[in-house]
Amino acid sequence: MEKNKITCKEVMNHICDNLGEDLDSPKCVAIKEHLENCESCQKYFHSVESTIQFYKIYNAELPEESHNKLMDYLGLSDE
Amino acid sequence: MSEPELIEKAKEGNRQALAQLVKNYEQTIYNFAFKVCRNKDRAEHTMQETFLSMVKSISQFSGKSKLSTWLYTIVSNHCLMQARSNKNKFFDSLDDDELYIDESEIAEWKVTPDQVAENNELKEILDNAIQKLPQDYKIVFLLRDVEGLSTEETANVVDVSVPAVKSRLHRARAFLRSELNKVLKNGKE
Ligand SMILES: [Zn+2]
Repeated sequence: MEKNKITCKEVMNHICDNLGEDLDSPKCVAIKEHLENCESCQKYFHSVESTIQFYKIYNAELPEESHNKLMDYLGLSDE
Repeated sequence: MSEPELIEKAKEGNRQALAQLVKNYEQTIYNFAFKVCRNKDRAEHTMQETFLSMVKSISQFSGKSKLSTWLYTIVSNHCLMQARSNKNKFFDSLDDDELYIDESEIAEWKVTPDQVAENNELKEILDNAIQKLPQDYKIVFLLRDVEGLSTEETANVVDVSVPAVKSRLHRARAFLRSELNKVLKNGKE
C-alpha cells in the first residue's frame, strides 16, 4: 500500500543486522518508529535479545582439577 | 603488580609473573573455550594449548592489543584449525533476505535467560543450536555478543574485515534465534 512503509520483514532483518549500533541512521529511526507500534516486531526484537542473553548467562566454571592440570602442564605448579 | 609490569617480568623469564598471568586469565579462557567447544574435556585441552602458546611466545607480545584479545586470538586459531575441514558453503552463500525469518512464527518465549543456570534441558537446547553454526560464525557471535569485544577487536581476532564480522554476526544471531524459537515458542519448560 504505502510505498515507503517499512515492512515487518525488513525491520526484523535489520534488527539482527545492527543491534545496538548505528542507532541514529535514517533507517534505524524508521525501524524504531515501526517497533513502537508493531507487536510482532517487538516480540522478534526481544527474542533476538534473549538469544544473546541466554548464551551470555550460560557460563562454565573452571574446575579446580583443570586448574591443577593446567599448572602442571605448563610446569608452573610450584609458583 | 599491574598487568604491564607482570608482562614485562614474564618476558624476562620470571615464572611467578607468568603463573600470575595464567591465573588472571584461566577462568575467562576456559569459559570461552567451553563456549566454542561445548564440551568440558575439549575446553580443558584448548585452554592448555592456549596458555602453552602464551608461555612460549610471550616475548613476542607487542602490547599493541590487550593480552585478553591476544589470548582470544590463540583460542580462535586453535579452534578454527580443528574445524577447517568443515567450511560451510551454505552459510556463506546465504542471501540475507532468506534469513530464517518466518513472520507467522513470532511468539513470546516462555523461558527467560535467568533460568539457564538450573535448567539442564535448556542448556542442551542452547548447545545443540550453537553447534549447528559453522565455527567462524560461532566465534564471531561469541566474541562480539557474548564476550563483549568491539566489532573492530573481533575483526582483528578472526582476521577478517569489519563488514565480514557484521555479516556473520547478523546471520549467526538470526540463525540462533530461529533455532531456539523452534523449541521455545511452544513454551518448553
Ligand atoms: Zn512489524
